[in-house]
Amino acid sequence: MMKTADVVIIGGGISGCATAYFLAKKGVKNVLLIEKGYLASGSTGRCGAGIRQQWGTELNCMISKHSCDFFETANEELEYDGDIEFKQGGYLLVTSTDKEHEQFIKNIEVQNRMGIHSKLLTLEEAKEIVPFLNTDGLISAAFHQKDGHLNPFHTTQAFADAAKRLGATIMTHTEVTGIDVENGKIRGVRTNKGDVATAVVLNAAGGYSQKIAQMAGVDLPVYSERHQILVTEPIEEILGPMVMSFSLNIYCQQVPHGGIIMGRGDENEPRDLRTTSSWQFLEEMALCATKLLPPLRNAKVLRQWAGLYNMSPDRQPIYGPVEEVEGFYVAAGFSGHGFMFGPSTGLIMSEYILGEKLTLPVETLTLSRIKQNKLVFEPSVV
Amino acid sequence: MLENTGIPTPEDIDSVFPSEERLNRGAIIVVECYKKIPCNPCYTACHRGGIRPFEDINDRPVVVEDNCNGCGLCIGKCPGLAIMAVDMTYSDTEALVKLPYEFLPMPEPGMIIKGLDREGNFITPVKVIKVLNTKAMDRTAVVSVAVGKPFVRQIRNIKVEPVEVRQADDDVIVCRCSDVSLGMIRGLIRKGYTTFDEIKRLSRVGMGPCQSKNCGPMVLKEISIMTGKSMEALTLGTYRQPVKSLKLGEIADEAVRGHSK
Repeated sequence: MMKTADVVIIGGGISGCATAYFLAKKGVKNVLLIEKGYLASGSTGRCGAGIRQQWGTELNCMISKHSCDFFETANEELEYDGDIEFKQGGYLLVTSTDKEHEQFIKNIEVQNRMGIHSKLLTLEEAKEIVPFLNTDGLISAAFHQKDGHLNPFHTTQAFADAAKRLGATIMTHTEVTGIDVENGKIRGVRTNKGDVATAVVLNAAGGYSQKIAQMAGVDLPVYSERHQILVTEPIEEILGPMVMSFSLNIYCQQVPHGGIIMGRGDENEPRDLRTTSSWQFLEEMALCATKLLPPLRNAKVLRQWAGLYNMSPDRQPIYGPVEEVEGFYVAAGFSGHGFMFGPSTGLIMSEYILGEKLTLPVETLTLSRIKQNKLVFEPSVV
Repeated sequence: MLENTGIPTPEDIDSVFPSEERLNRGAIIVVECYKKIPCNPCYTACHRGGIRPFEDINDRPVVVEDNCNGCGLCIGKCPGLAIMAVDMTYSDTEALVKLPYEFLPMPEPGMIIKGLDREGNFITPVKVIKVLNTKAMDRTAVVSVAVGKPFVRQIRNIKVEPVEVRQADDDVIVCRCSDVSLGMIRGLIRKGYTTFDEIKRLSRVGMGPCQSKNCGPMVLKEISIMTGKSMEALTLGTYRQPVKSLKLGEIADEAVRGHSK
């Protein structure tokens, strides 16, 4: 165990690993990343692994576009010896209410303004992309070809391997048990494998970010809730894009190895850290998916699991320093889209920690916005 | 010749290596400082009188074999990275060799990596036992590796690259669902992934229709063999429902029937 570190990152998901990479790349020595389980064992490895740029706020469009541009060359940039399995099959978002249809028109205006070439489709046009789409009850659709899928384990691994090559230290199977704060400043981090002195801590603990913040005496206005998901046995390629609907509460995508991953939210989900699986989800998911995409009736469910969404009050991430504790930074509250924001998160947090000018103007996403009630709501979340 | 190539000859090496008798008594340093230069941190680093006092700062260090216990404090202090320590009593077949190391990435304990000779040639796989790299060492880490005894005089450096040790049964398919071979599993274990969950997520082993019913025990056995952990101490990770694959259509029909009751 290192005795001192220049920066300690808590959390070995995409946010933590990407930040470790950018810090090490910028020449920071002694970056230490601590992960309780193994890399991507939390929300990152449990997510639907979709990548989209079709958002309703300029900020989310900008963050996701920057990330997507990074993913396009990530295998080379990170010199990964595996493959992050980036598939750009597009996202087909369907609407089923007038209100949603109106919202999409607004969203697409925002997206196009931000350089994202999404477009509104009629149902006939949508059926050209997914011929077996059941359009009963649907109104319209939106499509963007550059959205898609990535393997979350390999993407996280690619960042972690690159960070290690640049000198960062990654300790998995190590649990943070406390954060020492003295006179309002970070002094160190305690773990079950020893203590490390540091002046800078990044809380990138995903579903556990509130718990980690409490260790430093900070009340983070986020909560975690379970979201369930399933995968089918691999089948021949039948579905190019991710098919998704906010009003029907479904996302569904065939990933490169052939399995179809699908999930939905539950508004009655209790706010806690459970990640168990329920039969009720399986039934609701089956009803919803087989109605929208009838050929899926024959796809066999292989496995279901669950992960935590770390929800912020306006469903936008919280990026930046924590004012009341000097040296304490947070990247949390991703509300279900932390994985696809990963590269941007790493860049943003490395710039905050090093006091650099922000490449992406995300100053409005600091923790203080919530206290000042300057929320920027994202309308498009499953 | 040392003067022309910077690489000592076997005779040069013999001239600084402790006697067989001393080597067999336990750990001791080997100082490959072949030329007179004004330098003495090895002497000042040692609290046991393991280096004979310098009469002139240009003197070449001489190891006091009865005082040196091979602790290695001097290894990281030598600016020329000329010192290593050898413990021939480490095990029946292997010696523990402590080497100074200033490159990235740092190796991690448990890794099996390339052992290099003084010319940088890969000689034999070595196992990383310990990495000492505190702030006080100012980025000269001391890496302890287990080296097969016959190679002790040859190994002088390491390369942090997993060694592909081909085994006859590497091509055996462990996971028939996702086409994962025993060799792929071994490669991941060598890289330091020693839990089923980690190996599963990086290789897809256990993610197919059998849901690790067939491949699981085989992977655990390989982890056990390569890490020395007992099978009882290893687990397959979280088991996910459903136990057997079910068609989405069947689940949907059942849901409708259930609701109409």
